[in-house]
Amino acid sequence: MTDRSTAAVDKSGIMRGLVSRNRVPLGSEIYNRILETLYDEAAVLDERRFDDWVAMLAPDLIYTAPIRLTRTGPNRDRDVMRTMMHFDDNYQSILMRTGRLSKSAWAEDPPSRTRRFITNVRVGEAEAPDEYEVVSYLYLSRSRGENPEYEITTAERRDIWRFAGGSYKLSRREIILDQATLSMSNLAVFL
Amino acid sequence: MYNSVKKTLEDIMLQKAGLVLSDGTSIDDLIDLKMHEVSLRVMNDPELHKIEMERIFARTWLLLGHETEIPKSGDFIVRDMGEDQVIVARDRTGDVHVSLNVCPHRGMKVCTAEAGNTQAHRCIYHGWAFRPNGDFIGAPIEKEQMHGNMRPKSELGLKKARVHLYGGLIFATWNIEGPSFDDFLGDSKFYFDQLFCRTDSGLELLGPPQRFMIPANWKIGSEQSASDGFHTLTLHRSLMEGGIMGGTPESIYDNAPGMYGVDISCTEGHSLRCLEAAQTFKMFSNVSFEGKTTEERLHLLPPPGITPDLIPQLFKNLSPEQVDMLATIPPQVGGMFPNVLVLFIFAPRTDGGASGALALHTYMPRGPNHFEFVNYIFAEKDAPESVKRDMLQNSIQQAGTSGVIEQDDADTWPQIMRNARGPVGRSMTLKYQALTGHSKPENWPGGGMIYPGFTKDDTQWNWWLNYHRLMSNPG
Repeated sequence: MTDRSTAAVDKSGIMRGLVSRNRVPLGSEIYNRILETLYDEAAVLDERRFDDWVAMLAPDLIYTAPIRLTRTGPNRDRDVMRTMMHFDDNYQSILMRTGRLSKSAWAEDPPSRTRRFITNVRVGEAEAPDEYEVVSYLYLSRSRGENPEYEITTAERRDIWRFAGGSYKLSRREIILDQATLSMSNLAVFL
Repeated sequence: MYNSVKKTLEDIMLQKAGLVLSDGTSIDDLIDLKMHEVSLRVMNDPELHKIEMERIFARTWLLLGHETEIPKSGDFIVRDMGEDQVIVARDRTGDVHVSLNVCPHRGMKVCTAEAGNTQAHRCIYHGWAFRPNGDFIGAPIEKEQMHGNMRPKSELGLKKARVHLYGGLIFATWNIEGPSFDDFLGDSKFYFDQLFCRTDSGLELLGPPQRFMIPANWKIGSEQSASDGFHTLTLHRSLMEGGIMGGTPESIYDNAPGMYGVDISCTEGHSLRCLEAAQTFKMFSNVSFEGKTTEERLHLLPPPGITPDLIPQLFKNLSPEQVDMLATIPPQVGGMFPNVLVLFIFAPRTDGGASGALALHTYMPRGPNHFEFVNYIFAEKDAPESVKRDMLQNSIQQAGTSGVIEQDDADTWPQIMRNARGPVGRSMTLKYQALTGHSKPENWPGGGMIYPGFTKDDTQWNWWLNYHRLMSNPG
């Protein structure tokens, strides 16, 4: 019998989107540039230009995807479990992953044909100057081999984008997947 | 006439070791004991699947989780035993119980959450309620006695499985009078103890498991778990290309890093691959154990997941022979029959350093064509938080949903099952003919069948022999 456990389910978060109270309004210059950056990022990943993607990442990147847990009663909304992740990465480990994709990564060789649809984009000013909290929805369709069935996943992404050197760099991404049991058989694609 | 035909059929079924499919195919047709071949058909066959659920998953011990998931009275998790869902709960006395998540009233799930805490599991349909140990408490409107009067309350509890805790790991079986857990482990206990029962506080599950679906039969993953070392060289080629396992991309097959060691297996189908770190990873290649004591070796290169502070605990919890093995040639990968993968590996970090990754997977059948991959990630409970954090991150990057090693397995297994669909493909066989033959080295401290040298097919064949044994037994 144990008195404490990090596997116990009390270390969990309530699902919440944008935190910032200082909204960057839809249609404003900054909003438009950030939206454009998200579209560019989706294209870069769909076109498998991983070096170009890495160039969009800040060196202090933290890239995570907590698991979801089905819960009931008073805890029913505390279903984002940050004690366990599907992705738990930083800039270095992302470089390891993209490096692998250029070699014998059979999970993506032959490559998946993917489409990343980014919608419901909300932007707010983050605490640090030149940093923006960006929440977006992701719909990812993935087609592998001759299999006519799509593998699909959906998620909310909570990002911090930093304006540096004339462009926006991703310094934080938390991917809130919508499945407790993923239907995608691996996450060899970035979300 | 009819009776004599029936009698003959019964004789044939007995001769054919107790399993004949409706088209007349016997277990011996599917598993060729002489040629060491298995029909690819077994990887996609609804009829066989139904029998597997009855003869394997409803009978053998199955891994359901770890007790650190349910530390407090009333804590529960919901898990699967084959196609049957169960509630794993801790009661007020601290005991862990496993009960079928099927309301005995009208068949609804009693728990609709994956985890939680309650002293009374109340079915949301009509309100029948059950204690953490599965006992029936009652139905609403007590004075109306809505459970009737034909059965006493003692007969209306949740169906209870038999439970055994091993190193905090929760195992259960529906085979109430069947073999003990120690019988199930057989000779492999000596080796598994080195992984699960080596520290004072034991292992800790770092968070709820990753769960994801693989469109493949459960056996495709599980037979690989039975210590298929050889696939690493080709399927996991990127490990070598990354430079972490020694050699260069051009010398992968010449150097064959990680292929030489000792494979261990037992008649119960469990197996482990024991590997010297220096033979596996580049970063350890300069570590020499020459003339060193067991303790010195442990400090020089602690086994995966063990920190220097924990080394004295190894001597306390294990026999000298077990500690010596852990210090020299630790078990790192393997499997427990029928559906557990064991991954207790030295894990290279992206910064060039080394970490450990401790993970167990269960491959839970979801019909003949899918299984759920459940990935449990551990650390030693008494390890520093910074080490746990490092091990969690490392493990997630190597194994499971996004793990760079297991991404490639997840993409390969469905293609094998795809090939088990066509009438010609189904008739092909899987070959287990590269054999070392059991030969125990002198002074080898443990039991079981021991295969020193290059990793070959022996342990996987032993897995199929146990599959054959269980499937042939109608019970």
